[in-house]
Amino acid sequence: MQKFEEKLIQMTKPDVLHLKHEDMLANAITKAKDKSVVSLWWLIIPLYIVAALTMKTIFMPRTTLLSNLHELTSNESYTSVVFIIINVKSMRNIYFLSGNPKMITFLKETWYHVLILILSVLILIIYSL
Amino acid sequence: MTEIELLDSIKKNPDNFSELFKLYYKPIFGYILRRTGNFDDSVDIASDSFFNAFRNINKFSYKGISIKVWLYRIATNEVNMYFRNKQKYNLVFKSVDFENKDAFNSLLYEDRKEMETELHKHDQYLLVLISLKSLSIKYQEVISLRYFEGKENKEIAEILNINEGTLKSLLSRGLEKLRKKCSQI
Repeated sequence: MQKFEEKLIQMTKPDVLHLKHEDMLANAITKAKDKSVVSLWWLIIPLYIVAALTMKTIFMPRTTLLSNLHELTSNESYTSVVFIIINVKSMRNIYFLSGNPKMITFLKETWYHVLILILSVLILIIYSL
Repeated sequence: MTEIELLDSIKKNPDNFSELFKLYYKPIFGYILRRTGNFDDSVDIASDSFFNAFRNINKFSYKGISIKVWLYRIATNEVNMYFRNKQKYNLVFKSVDFENKDAFNSLLYEDRKEMETELHKHDQYLLVLISLKSLSIKYQEVISLRYFEGKENKEIAEILNINEGTLKSLLSRGLEKLRKKCSQI
């Protein structure tokens, strides 16, 4: 057994002394910024709900946006909490990957998240009333 | 620059991640290449490992392990996922825009040629690797880190987040299994 162990230690192994693609790859990764942190699939869910609420308010007789929101929150109150968690997490990642930007630049990049956050908080408040 | 200073500078300006990349890309790539024995898969796994590290470095804090150990841990998890799923998912190449993809592919081509020549210089290692790959992943990782990377038990235990007693027992059992497999070749 000891002989086999020595054989493993002493046998030559492939070595990586230099890699030409290294610099370009490093450059590409550090430029990824927020593109990689926000999955569009997450953004489709709130978009769908907002669209559904709007359509329902416009086309369903005897309903208002408030009553529809109330109905949504009473059925799907946990959705708001999920949205808040997702958006706060995404904004935190964007803030870091953008290199701690100025507030205006940061808001320009994250306006969608802020909007969903406000809507989610609003829905939660209406639900708790 | 110490690791703590480097980490602070990355947290202030993510572009400084390239410094970390320069320091550790080659050793991590080498580790992945020695585990897989395949250049293209190693590029995918290494780039995904560093991409994951870049996305999560703001969560990294010194809790007894160094950045180097943390990177080896990420790379080990990525290699294990590769062995379990046997499918490529190229997170980086799907998410990142290369300014000059042709130039990048041409550099990859040159590196591939060089690395394949390097791999074929070590016949004995390639035979052992074939046997090693047929073992369970828990044995592959400990044997590879100990005998291919030449790491001490303490560092291996940190990378794999296991205690040294468990590591010694895995190494002993894994070595015996590998010896039997190698004797069959």
